[in-house]
Amino acid sequence: MTDVQRVDLLDPAEVARLGGIEIVAQGVVEGFLAGIHRSPFRGFSVEFTEHRAYQPGDEPRYLDWKMLARSDRLFVKQFEEETNLRAMILVDASRSMAWRGAPARLTKRAYGDRLAAALALILLRQRDATGLITFDEAVREVVPARVKSGQWARLVRGLVRTPDGRGTAAQAALVRLTALLARRGLVVLVSDLLFDRDLALTALRYLRHRGHQVIVVHLMDPAEAELSGPPEVRFRDPESAASVVVRPRELARVYGETVRREIAAWRTACRRHGIAYHHVLTDMPFGMALRLLA
Amino acid sequence: MTFLHPLALVGLVAAAIPALLHLLERRVPPEAEFPPLRYLSEAERQSARRLKLRHLLLLILRTLLIVLIVLAAARPLVPARTGGATVHAPTALALILDNSASSGVVVDGRPVLDRLRAVARGSLARTAAGDRVWLILADGVARGGVRERLLATVDSAAVSPRRLDLSAAVQQAARLVDAEPLPAREVHVVSDLQRTALGAGRADVPRGVRVLALAPPPQPPANRGIGTARVTDGAVTVGVVGTPGAAAAAVTVRVRGREVGRALAAPGAAVSIALPPLAPGWWVGEATLDPDELRADDRRVFAWRVAPPARVTAPQDAGPFVAAALAVLAEGGKVGIAGAGGAGGARGPDVSIGERPDGRGGARTNVVIPPVDAALVGQVNRALAAGGGPWRFGGPGTPGPIAASSVAGIDGIQVTRRYRLEGGEDSTVVARVNGEPWLVRDPGEGRVLLLGSRLDTAWTALPAAPAFVPFVDALVNRLARGEAPVAEAEGAPRVEFRTRGTDTVGATVYGIDARESELAAAPPALVRRLLGAEVLEDPAFAAARFAGTGRADGSWLLLALALVVAVVELGVATLTR
Repeated sequence: MTDVQRVDLLDPAEVARLGGIEIVAQGVVEGFLAGIHRSPFRGFSVEFTEHRAYQPGDEPRYLDWKMLARSDRLFVKQFEEETNLRAMILVDASRSMAWRGAPARLTKRAYGDRLAAALALILLRQRDATGLITFDEAVREVVPARVKSGQWARLVRGLVRTPDGRGTAAQAALVRLTALLARRGLVVLVSDLLFDRDLALTALRYLRHRGHQVIVVHLMDPAEAELSGPPEVRFRDPESAASVVVRPRELARVYGETVRREIAAWRTACRRHGIAYHHVLTDMPFGMALRLLA
Repeated sequence: MTFLHPLALVGLVAAAIPALLHLLERRVPPEAEFPPLRYLSEAERQSARRLKLRHLLLLILRTLLIVLIVLAAARPLVPARTGGATVHAPTALALILDNSASSGVVVDGRPVLDRLRAVARGSLARTAAGDRVWLILADGVARGGVRERLLATVDSAAVSPRRLDLSAAVQQAARLVDAEPLPAREVHVVSDLQRTALGAGRADVPRGVRVLALAPPPQPPANRGIGTARVTDGAVTVGVVGTPGAAAAAVTVRVRGREVGRALAAPGAAVSIALPPLAPGWWVGEATLDPDELRADDRRVFAWRVAPPARVTAPQDAGPFVAAALAVLAEGGKVGIAGAGGAGGARGPDVSIGERPDGRGGARTNVVIPPVDAALVGQVNRALAAGGGPWRFGGPGTPGPIAASSVAGIDGIQVTRRYRLEGGEDSTVVARVNGEPWLVRDPGEGRVLLLGSRLDTAWTALPAAPAFVPFVDALVNRLARGEAPVAEAEGAPRVEFRTRGTDTVGATVYGIDARESELAAAPPALVRRLLGAEVLEDPAFAAARFAGTGRADGSWLLLALALVVAVVELGVATLTR
């Protein structure tokens, strides 16, 4: 019962009605952090630099027990290299992301924006330098990774400023990313992956080769996973304007198999190259999606 | 293949509906955005061949389904084994129900007509809406109409006094059905198949017309019937007909309800029963037999007229023998002598006997004998011609015996001298000598009888014969005055009189045809030969009718097939998605 009242576990569309990206992301993050017992993302260094107030989600092992004994307040120890984690979140803003299968659901773009904002907030709260790249067929918005205050607001503005694009060319954004991430870091790609898989994998593999931790969040509307519709319909690709006339009932089974095969192909290819792959439907609560990423 | 409702085949146009729907549906599909089109295209590429096959299969199945349903609605008729057919191809059927007088015979306590009616009902009951049906009864009239009306006619058909000529009826029926443009033509003969009902010649049955005849009962009962009853010379001659060899039966004659005579007679024999002297006028009598299995021929009525004695005048040139005979007849009250007292009274003569027509005496009929003087023959002939008659005296004829069919007792009596009679029609000859007319009757207004010889022993031996007085009686009372015409006709036993003004001038006696009394059935081989019919017992007849075109309704088979196709279609539509 407690879980149901948590914002991060509510239906994403309902949560989206609470307000803008900031409010939603903060609510989701609060709920998400309240439900776990350690920080989801950790740095690599062990050199102590300072204390900071304990926040829900911080690992108990980093609590400074002596400070607790002296001041009766909770502090966690910060380490030198923790802020060395540089995370870049890549959000696909192509035309296909602006689609939803039902009016009651969020578009993939809206879902991805909120998920990205929540993820960024978590990272920044851990004082990880976090940046953002939005792209469609070209890179649209770039917010370099920083940890200073106001970074999250910049990231959110970057998301909001990015309009719905047209085509998709992820490899351009990934190439651009390699220039922005000089040191090893975390790369999170939020996309519906409706682009050339081989080209995108080449770029991701390159990132991985440079030592980055890569996470692919494959967003998909439930209506994209299972084909349905009128007896006969002309489906049009919003990006390429190509169209095809199909009878959904006839093709549903094979289509479902094709989608599952595509997901499996992405998963296999990513695993082969040490890339984390997560398939997320847009009706999945944000908390659960974040849990996948943790 | 034929169909009971061929108009329903128009519905085959509906077979194009699946293809049309397929085409029309493809024209304007709704449009929608769908980003993962690459997945869709890939799925379609993988399924293209399967879907094409599925579409083709569904199109074929749906078209087939409609075709099967439409064909079933048209009620196709498929060949069926004999007896198993529930329906038949449209058939022209002529049903001959022989309800002639002989069908009233009682066999095993039941009239034969009951059995015939039941079989006829069976034939009519099997007819369908597409059939053309006629019913022919003993009256020979072909009745067309709907089944219910004909069934009612069969139910109400009683034993008819008419005789049915089966050969003529079958020929008529065959022509009727042959003229109908229907796939099948049948004639059902439901009759007792009397031998006497078949004509001598073969019935002309066109090819393609099937004639079925119901086999008669195996052993008809022995029968006796009154074949004829005619009054001549104060007696009624009753001819008994029926099964040859049957025992004699008592014939009873009644006049106005009163029995006047009785005699025994077997089939093929005739008895003559004298009638009592009756007052002048028309009389009706009846001859009856004791009742047997066929009642219709056990009674026959007859009628005759008792004429008043003719008033005769005979000039001296008629000869002494004529005068003597007339005197004898006058004494017996059978003639009256005109101009004398007694029976003739003061009225003019009815008959004049002499050497020339009596132009002055006003006699209604003249019996003209040749003049003694041969030189007067021409004068007589001119007088005859003036009277308008065609007959005249010719040259002398050769001697010979008299041959007469309608005057009793004078056959064989020698004629030694005579004139040939010439000029008239053969039908008016009453008696002949050596094949030439000897006694003729001119039927004109001025009625004249011409004798080729004088009634004198020098001309003929007739005056010396016992038959002379009866001959003169017949001459003046019957031949000269004309016999009252009594016609005979087929019908229920009764007498109808013909009148002219207040006078009754004739009568028609109705009775059944004497051939109806002979109940023996024709052998099947003869029926086959004369009628071209298959002779079948009841069960075989029931199975064989319409069997030539026996068809079963194939719609159930088609509906079952349509059901199978529908199930297959459902399976293809659901399982191959």
